[in-house]
Amino acid sequence: MSSKTEGFYEVLSPWAEADPVPYRAISTRIKDLAGKKIGLFCNTKRVAEPTLKVIEDRLQKKFPTVAFSWFFNLAPNEAIIAQTRKDEFDNWLKGVDAVIAAYGD
Amino acid sequence: MLANYGFVNDAESASRSKGMPGVRVISTKVPCESTVIADIEAGIDKAWNDIIIALTKPLTAEEKNPRAEKTETPARIIFKGSLEEVNRFFYRRGWTDGLPIIPPMEEAVQEMLIGTDLPADYLLGKLQSRLGKATVEKVAINAVMAGALPTYMPVLIAATIDLLESEQGFNGYTTYGFSTGSWSPFWIINGPIRQQLNINSGSGAFSPGNIANATIGRAMGLIIKNIGGVRKGIEDMGVMGNPMKYTMVIAENEEESPWEPLHVEHGYQKEDSTISLSFPQSFLQHYPPGSDATSILQSVIDNITRGMRYTIVFNPQTAKNIAREGFTKEKIKQYITEKKFVPAVQPKNQLGNSGIPGASPSQDLQNKPEMVPLIRDPRVIRIIVGGGPGAFVAHLIGGGATPGKKEIQKIELPKNWEKLVAKYKDLAPIYAKY
Repeated sequence: MSSKTEGFYEVLSPWAEADPVPYRAISTRIKDLAGKKIGLFCNTKRVAEPTLKVIEDRLQKKFPTVAFSWFFNLAPNEAIIAQTRKDEFDNWLKGVDAVIAAYGD
Repeated sequence: MLANYGFVNDAESASRSKGMPGVRVISTKVPCESTVIADIEAGIDKAWNDIIIALTKPLTAEEKNPRAEKTETPARIIFKGSLEEVNRFFYRRGWTDGLPIIPPMEEAVQEMLIGTDLPADYLLGKLQSRLGKATVEKVAINAVMAGALPTYMPVLIAATIDLLESEQGFNGYTTYGFSTGSWSPFWIINGPIRQQLNINSGSGAFSPGNIANATIGRAMGLIIKNIGGVRKGIEDMGVMGNPMKYTMVIAENEEESPWEPLHVEHGYQKEDSTISLSFPQSFLQHYPPGSDATSILQSVIDNITRGMRYTIVFNPQTAKNIAREGFTKEKIKQYITEKKFVPAVQPKNQLGNSGIPGASPSQDLQNKPEMVPLIRDPRVIRIIVGGGPGAFVAHLIGGGATPGKKEIQKIELPKNWEKLVAKYKDLAPIYAKY
């Protein structure tokens, strides 16, 4: 314990090692919005739905041929999609050209 | 992905941790939890160009092939310096709770490790959010920093396992980290280890001043921070924060309880030692107007607010007064469940969305003005006995596991437990007389 009396400390790191997470690319972007179906992913937070509704209205006015498909997820995202509604969610994703999600309460 | 500007770091961290660092996160001024349409429209209009670009701009080379991060292998000896330098180094790294830490030197960590028979490199699991490897040594290092004693290691290991095995989706790390709710880990310890470690279950059990209550909770907070990688304002988006995150540990006062202890309710033997986890948001105390069961329980009912899990701490005398009139823990839970009513609108809208796309809270209120039970499943209520002489009753209200899911963990003891207890047990404050 000499280091203690001398006021000098050699300390171990409390920070844990972590394996890198395998990364995936995001989906290829659409060239333009005309005639496309946009997925609107709505979670439990109360500002999500009105926010996405504003976007839907704005996009519809600017791109009249755009169509929309909503996915309402009223339980914690990860749990409900990864467990109970995975097939439904995956099928919904297959039916849209791009997705907009609202994040951050 | 549209994110309120205060959530951009959180959104990017979540995207990386899920393996998609290229998710295009658009910072907006759309206000959080506010449905004022003019503000939402203004926020969207300001971000409009970014939204269109995010949808249509071709992927960059980096977005097409995101480079994998290297395995993170921090140096074992991370710093050398004076007490002040060590503390400032750790603080700047975000590794402390803001209070000074005990420098985790090799000697101190080795002493901490005598509290377990598990090898130092034993991997308990990977703790969210960054899936940090919770080895026994990392638990011990954080325990030293918190000022814990080696005899707390079995508790800390059990508590870490409890976190690791918590319910997916609404579990320990999630409620601590990925929410604005400022949920705080709350640990209840049962069984013989309460007395072996001098864990306070009596007067001022929730107050500072007992090393076990103080440092077990503090160590778990550091473990969540330094192994789980939960950062305030990034993964931990608690709006208000919560002082209970410094520590929130109590032992149940089994000796003065008229009821079976919490761990026995969960199927353990009275001789077992356990730790239980929940995530209250709020702590309140109230003073029942009488000593009869009806007065006490009505006071409890009056003070229950919205939550998902409830822990009610009855002081020993109040518990005896209720039990004298034939109330078991189960009967109390049932009584509260049957008597506590709230306007129907409350449970549906408290978490945000009304559950009906397009419906607003006011519409719900108009359609459903009746009163409904606040609690539909009495199992969301936990009752323990704790605290000192007096009348006050405490409530811890917030989150926790779904009833029936994991919330309690048996504490496994090392072979030389009795010797260890004898070595450290006499560490207790002796107040001067005046």
